[in-house]
Amino acid sequence: MKRLKILLVGLVVMGLLLSACQASEPAPAVDEPAAEEETEEEDQEPFRIAVVMPSSINDLAFSQSMYDALLLVQEEMGGEEAMEFVYSDGMFVVDDAAAAIRDYASQGFDLVIAHGSQYGSSLQEIAPDFPETSFAWGTTVDTFGIDNIFAYEAASDQGGYVNGVMAASLSESGVIGVVGPIETGDAKLYVDGFKAGAEATDPEVRVNVNYIGSFSDVALASEAANTHIAAGADVLTGTAQMVVGAIGVAEENDALWFGTQSSQTELAPDVVVANQVYRWDVVLNEIIDLIGEGTLGGKSFVIDLENDGEVIEFNPDYDLPEDVRALADETIQGIIDGSIVVGDSAPEEEVEEGAVPTFEDTFRVAVVMPSSINDLAFSQSMYDALLLIQEWMGGEEAMEFVYSDGMFVVDDAAAAIRDYASEGYDLVIAHGSQYGSSLQEIAPDFPETSFAWGTTVDTFGIDNIYAYEAASDQGGYVNGVMAASLSESGVIGVVGPIETGDAKLYVDGFKAGAEATDPEVRVNVNYIGSFSDVALASEAANTHIAAGADVLTGTAQMVVGAIGVAEENDALWFGTQSSQTDLAPDVVVANQVYRWDVILKDIIGNIADGTLGGTSFVIDLENGGELMEFNPDYDLPEDVQTLADETIQGIKDGTISIELEE
Amino acid sequence: MISELFSMTVLIGILASGIRLATPYLYAGIGETFGQRSGVLNLGVEGQMLLGAFAAFYIALTTGNLWLGVLGAMAVGAAMGLVMAYVTVNLQAEQGISGIGFYLFGLGLSDLLFQKLMGTVETVKGFSEIDLPLLSDLPVLGVILFSQNVLVYIAFALVPIAWFVLNKTTLGLKIRAVGENPDAADSLGVSVARVRYFTIILGGTLSGVAGASLSIALLNVFQQNMTSGLGFIAVALVYFGAWRPWGVMGGALLFSLVNSLQLWIQVLGIPIPSDIAVMLPYILTILVLVATVSRVRAPSALTRPFARAE
Repeated sequence: MKRLKILLVGLVVMGLLLSACQASEPAPAVDEPAAEEETEEEDQEPFRIAVVMPSSINDLAFSQSMYDALLLVQEEMGGEEAMEFVYSDGMFVVDDAAAAIRDYASQGFDLVIAHGSQYGSSLQEIAPDFPETSFAWGTTVDTFGIDNIFAYEAASDQGGYVNGVMAASLSESGVIGVVGPIETGDAKLYVDGFKAGAEATDPEVRVNVNYIGSFSDVALASEAANTHIAAGADVLTGTAQMVVGAIGVAEENDALWFGTQSSQTELAPDVVVANQVYRWDVVLNEIIDLIGEGTLGGKSFVIDLENDGEVIEFNPDYDLPEDVRALADETIQGIIDGSIVVGDSAPEEEVEEGAVPTFEDTFRVAVVMPSSINDLAFSQSMYDALLLIQEWMGGEEAMEFVYSDGMFVVDDAAAAIRDYASEGYDLVIAHGSQYGSSLQEIAPDFPETSFAWGTTVDTFGIDNIYAYEAASDQGGYVNGVMAASLSESGVIGVVGPIETGDAKLYVDGFKAGAEATDPEVRVNVNYIGSFSDVALASEAANTHIAAGADVLTGTAQMVVGAIGVAEENDALWFGTQSSQTDLAPDVVVANQVYRWDVILKDIIGNIADGTLGGTSFVIDLENGGELMEFNPDYDLPEDVQTLADETIQGIKDGTISIELEE
Repeated sequence: MISELFSMTVLIGILASGIRLATPYLYAGIGETFGQRSGVLNLGVEGQMLLGAFAAFYIALTTGNLWLGVLGAMAVGAAMGLVMAYVTVNLQAEQGISGIGFYLFGLGLSDLLFQKLMGTVETVKGFSEIDLPLLSDLPVLGVILFSQNVLVYIAFALVPIAWFVLNKTTLGLKIRAVGENPDAADSLGVSVARVRYFTIILGGTLSGVAGASLSIALLNVFQQNMTSGLGFIAVALVYFGAWRPWGVMGGALLFSLVNSLQLWIQVLGIPIPSDIAVMLPYILTILVLVATVSRVRAPSALTRPFARAE
């Protein structure tokens, strides 16, 4: 007892001493004139920032944009006295970066910036160990729900759009080349925005996009640019640090160049028209203010044209025609005031409708899926939906989800389902009809947990099981109508997995649509007996081609093999389940995309009301759970597009009823 | 409908498909033949193929160099083989179980790398078809046999090479001796461990190329679990082929041709339920196996770890 008391007293004294030390730090407040407007820095000590960057500080791109911003912030705050920063650049090895981040944090920097989305998982581990240090990372909006992490992102599609508008106006050949690194994140956003801008300005323009698969391969970027030139492009753009190679090619060939991330004007002053420049200082200032007020993280920021975090910098040496300049300014203004909407606004519209159910704690979802979350098919459709739901409910704070993918062995899946249920997840989703009998056994053991499974309409009469299904014959029918209209040989090939469930429904719907449009068309169907045998799916597609098919479709994840065959043979492809456009943009005409989020909203709403199951849901064209996504790069004849639209409308209002065989 | 089956288009289609489908079986099966002839059953072929397929694809995607991709696949397969050899030769583990372990390792790691490094299914420009001069102009046969990609040619070229090595060289004699009677081989100064290390690493290397033949020559995509049991079928084909390279080739071709036949049966609308059609190659393989295997003896020391009698 006595010892405990001594220990307690000791601890209290220690605590007092420590807090006294801390309190004494910000005591003598010195107001420096230079710092008065931007910051409330009251420390005598300078504000200390450390940053870890994937490439060089003078990469004319991503890393440089952050370095330049830090210089600006330093100047605004009043020089090195008020703010000092150190950096580690060229940290393309994530492990090295993680070590650097940890070092900086232990050296007591006020703000440690991990400038690269690849550093996220390292940061997630490191940040909780240094609760007194503020961290920031990007580009992302995800703070992991950790309250000493800020996140920042660039709405790079906005400047991309403006660049695209100018590019389309300036191109004489009508061909524009884009060199990107990997089709993801900031780069994809820029490229998509650019494309949208160009096509909105001139629907006839051809925007060739080349992702070279690397952020650093300058030689390949240069080769990509050469390829674009050979394909007739007279305007080029590109994003990420390897594009310096491409800029050289543009200059050699007198092709115009549009830059992004940092100003690239100096590299080729004769051909650079304009750059979207990231001004991270806008975000940094806000973060530094918040740290001054004691908030160390938990917020995310986006730079865009409106908040001046993105600035379009025109090359003064390039003689931009006045009308194009005016158009660019109008576009910038339009994006700022919202009259021009860039990018895919569809998910946001979905998010608005219906009240978001609220739960006391974070709503936790676990899902078990038979194939990979990026299978471009069945499993991916559920993963994408969960991401949308997470956004809809308000981020990771409100909803979190875990998944086990690749669970093609049903026993393993059953074990996972049982584990998740016993770990107290609110909703456990068994995404595959093969899991049904396992679920039937497991669900009654966890009456407090809600389960969902599909695709089926059968809840087994158990009142904590929801069932969900896709009316995949509807999108199949629409695809079939288009396929029959587009086929010149009159032969269409279908590659299916096993003749059952969702796959059979899609195939039958497709066949019905094709035959209703052209009774003479021949639809050859091939079920290969496997959901995963990519090689056999590919060979099935080869067989269809040999049998004269010029249009193909297929369902389930193994069809990626068949899509490659379609592309090689210039046969058209219709996708289903997830969008397969990116895999073969030249031949994919349209995809039926499953939007499970539509029914997940209903299910989560019911759970909020206390109902854990007992009903079944179907996604279809009418309730928006199935969307027909047309490939913008495929030049669909207008009459076929009209026919497809009429068919969709007809199915929705019931004037077309799909007659399936049997 | 049945008569359509015998048209030239269909026959050419079946043969060309069959040859393509047989390619990964040949690489993996020849590699496995060496292993089994030396007394080691490697059930990890599927895992080696998956990692090889990923390595080749990823390297081809990032460097644009297909041959570098093949080399990468070989290196990854060889590395897997090296570990497998250590486990089976030095640690004398139960071969069936450890093989399954290697399969699961390859399945999991290839998926993990795929998720982390690529994130989505992508395509790559793979090896294109090479028309062999003169030969490809031959009527009918030209299209079938001499208008394939380079990895297909190499696969078929491997068969006589493997036959020669196994039957006509000292190395082959040592391999067979180790697989039949390791004690006798050991007493004559043949290092059982060294021979088995060699065959297992060779098997891994060829399994890696089998994966590469899928991901950068035939399909030009990578997807999680894309081999989908091909590796296990390759192991079965070694039994089917009675541990002889020509036999393995015969089995691979038979299985593949029946598989492409069933694809055509469905396409032509011949009224056989698809479930039955897809069973055809397996049924036929089992039948042939039953008919032949009883007459051929497996290597005596197959699956038996070797411990030197002290």
